[in-house]
Amino acid sequence: MTSVLTQLVARSLLAPALVVAAGILVKGYSDVGDGFAAAIVAALGILLQFLAFGRAQVAAVLPIRRAPLVALCGLGLAVTVFAVPLAVGAAPLEHWPPAAQSPVHVGSLELITAVAFDVGVFLLVLGSAVAIIDALAATAEDEA
Amino acid sequence: MALAAFVAGWLTGGGGIDLAWAPTWDLRLAFELDGLAALYGILAAGIGVLVFVYASAYVPRHLAHQGRPRREEARLHAAMVLFLISMLGLTTAQDLILLFVFWDLTAVASWLLIGFDRHDREARLSALMALMVTAVSAVLMLVGILMLRVEYATTQLPELFAVARQSTTVTVAVALIVVAALAKSAQVPFHFWLPRAMAAPTPVSAYLHSAAMVAAGVFLLSRIHPLIALDGALLDALVVVGFASMAVGGVLALAADGLKRLLAYSTISQYGYVVTMLGVGGTAGAAAACFYVLAHALAKSALFMTAGAVTEATGATALSGLGGLGRRMPLLAAASGAAVAAIAALPLTIGFFKDELFFKAALEHGSLTAALAVAGAALTFAYMARFWSGIFLGSPRDAPQPIERRLVWPVALLALAAVGGGIVVAPFAALAQDAAAVTSGAAVKLEAAYHLDARSENLMALAAYALGAFVLVVRGVLSKPLAIVEWVGTHFGPERAYSASLRGLNRLSNQLHDIEVRDLRTRVAAVIVPGAALVAVGVVLTPTEGAYRVGQIVAADTPLVAALAVCALAAVAVTAPRNHLALALMLSAVGFALATAYSLLGAPDVALVAVLIETIFALLFVGVFALLPADVLRREARLRPHRSRQVRDAGIAIVSGVVTTLVVWAAFSRPVPSAGMAERHLTLAEDAHGKDVVTVILADFRGLDTLVEITVVGVAMIGVTALLASRRRV
Repeated sequence: MTSVLTQLVARSLLAPALVVAAGILVKGYSDVGDGFAAAIVAALGILLQFLAFGRAQVAAVLPIRRAPLVALCGLGLAVTVFAVPLAVGAAPLEHWPPAAQSPVHVGSLELITAVAFDVGVFLLVLGSAVAIIDALAATAEDEA
Repeated sequence: MALAAFVAGWLTGGGGIDLAWAPTWDLRLAFELDGLAALYGILAAGIGVLVFVYASAYVPRHLAHQGRPRREEARLHAAMVLFLISMLGLTTAQDLILLFVFWDLTAVASWLLIGFDRHDREARLSALMALMVTAVSAVLMLVGILMLRVEYATTQLPELFAVARQSTTVTVAVALIVVAALAKSAQVPFHFWLPRAMAAPTPVSAYLHSAAMVAAGVFLLSRIHPLIALDGALLDALVVVGFASMAVGGVLALAADGLKRLLAYSTISQYGYVVTMLGVGGTAGAAAACFYVLAHALAKSALFMTAGAVTEATGATALSGLGGLGRRMPLLAAASGAAVAAIAALPLTIGFFKDELFFKAALEHGSLTAALAVAGAALTFAYMARFWSGIFLGSPRDAPQPIERRLVWPVALLALAAVGGGIVVAPFAALAQDAAAVTSGAAVKLEAAYHLDARSENLMALAAYALGAFVLVVRGVLSKPLAIVEWVGTHFGPERAYSASLRGLNRLSNQLHDIEVRDLRTRVAAVIVPGAALVAVGVVLTPTEGAYRVGQIVAADTPLVAALAVCALAAVAVTAPRNHLALALMLSAVGFALATAYSLLGAPDVALVAVLIETIFALLFVGVFALLPADVLRREARLRPHRSRQVRDAGIAIVSGVVTTLVVWAAFSRPVPSAGMAERHLTLAEDAHGKDVVTVILADFRGLDTLVEITVVGVAMIGVTALLASRRRV
């Protein structure tokens, strides 16, 4: 199957990929990148694991079976951010804090509802991508 | 709980909620509990409670018969609750768009409910048919609503009633909504879905096809009645459709053998009455229609439950396998007897008043209407008598199995209500009167009482009984022709048109798919070549003065130049390799070099996305090559294209390269002053606390688009995994 070298590269790239994804995600509002890009980076990292180790081994290490659930949670989060302003009488997807108010900081991280929306996008794209990769891998294994 | 809320709300004179929904579209979440909402809401919630009790005994048995686990019961309950909620929303909605949303929700819930036996192909097809007929017609309704909105700039019903005047646009728009309502109420020619929907478990039929789903259609007609009444032609059309449904449903009910099928045809004909009366219009018509819906829903759900109980006790689903149950199941016989009497409009039941009001409205409308009304009532009398006597009278068959009492006492309660309404009619009449006032838009005085004199309503009722009894007697002679009528109806009626159009659409979709896939190259060329030609024409026609300036290269540009040089080199190199993998890697080299150029040009977001896309495509190519057989790839790589094709390809490449270079050169020579929108976005991004304007646009300014897009991604995920999973199972 795949060589030891491939496996070594794949394994050592997973953590950096996930960290970079997290970084892109949380800094997305003030720096390059957004939820979509972050999700693709993370998904590529996971795809590499599939290529190097095969589906069964990846499933033993990573919770890939939960990918559809992750996707649904992401959609749920995005819809929540969309819908909550309705309940308080604002326009849908109106973000908090409003323009005049400065956001709350945690360290250098700014808490804005738009970031929560972006996290929803991240979860949905990541979950969908991994679910599709998993389904394709299963099909390929069956045919092999 | 909902029932209590609706009753309390009605008694205290109603109330409303009005919330902004999407203010930019002027949509409001406007609900109001008026008389009409109270009538249909109390029916849906009240019968819903009894149906839940009935289902708690019926569904476990049903699942046990089919060897399915008990936990599937939860699925049915969830769908029924969804249905109840959407029904309550529908009845109280005051905004047409909102109404449409709940309308479609009821269709979805009913699809889930009818297709509850999902292992059964027949049930699935029936569920799909009900969904198609009601949801496709709902699209017509949406078109009608939008036409009204364009005309009057509002979808709020009270405002529409105030401003709407008769015009062709309004008539067409209202007609479209009426079509949707008639399809939902299973009126001719859309009636065919209802008998099919009897594939649903009996509690579902008792609920959807007596008090809720089917009633939603006539509810909508009542709700928008002031708009319908603007045009007399629409009212006349309602009368015609109503009588046609009465006739078709009545005759087929006389012919039907299956218990639930008979009841389904009877429902078609009974809602035909209501549609007729809404067509008759005026205060008398509105009063009669509202009272009729009330009386019918009580009795019909009792009869559906009777059919289910009888089938559970004996195993028989058709009249031909039943008889003589009266002695064995006296309570059920008495209760369903009362319900039958109510629908057949015998005195001392609530049904008598429904026909009294019906005859009164028909008499006001004209003598022909009155005569047809009597004929319809006679048919009703005949098939109802046939239903009851076929089950409970005659020679006894095998002894029935004992069944839970919860399968019987909901029937008894409904029968009690039907008889109680025949003695003390005032509360029912008050409920219907308030609903009728909303329907007709004027105060209505609903008088329901026994008159022991020879007034025409009483004579008409007597004539209907006599005629009905006569039909029943001669039915034996008619059974052959009736069976033929039913056969012809199912094989050549509108149902055939439905299945033919479904097949046609499937074929069309397959053909389109074939064209796309077979001639993919030609299709792509058909889009790109004319577009490129237009651009080329634009380049030729542009004045050349100042268009092609040669700028200066300064030291700071060195990295950019290097990146672009790599890009150009890789692009030339792509033409060389014959090996597939080398080709793919060259292509990604072009992409990565371009991404580097983006990042140097100050577009880091674009660069990031470009890098990601290039990575994905490189992996995709490698993955596809890994899946393809190696010898096929080798053989393909060795193939040399024909000489003429080589010349042609080179020609295309050179021409497109030159044109693209000219276009890009011209564009860079005259930088456009930065557009207003981009400037605005930059300032607004500050307000949105963002420094990365691309992300701010995605998550904030155009967040709604993003939401829709990620929904599409999610749906695509479900589609891909489902398709792959189904392929693996085969």
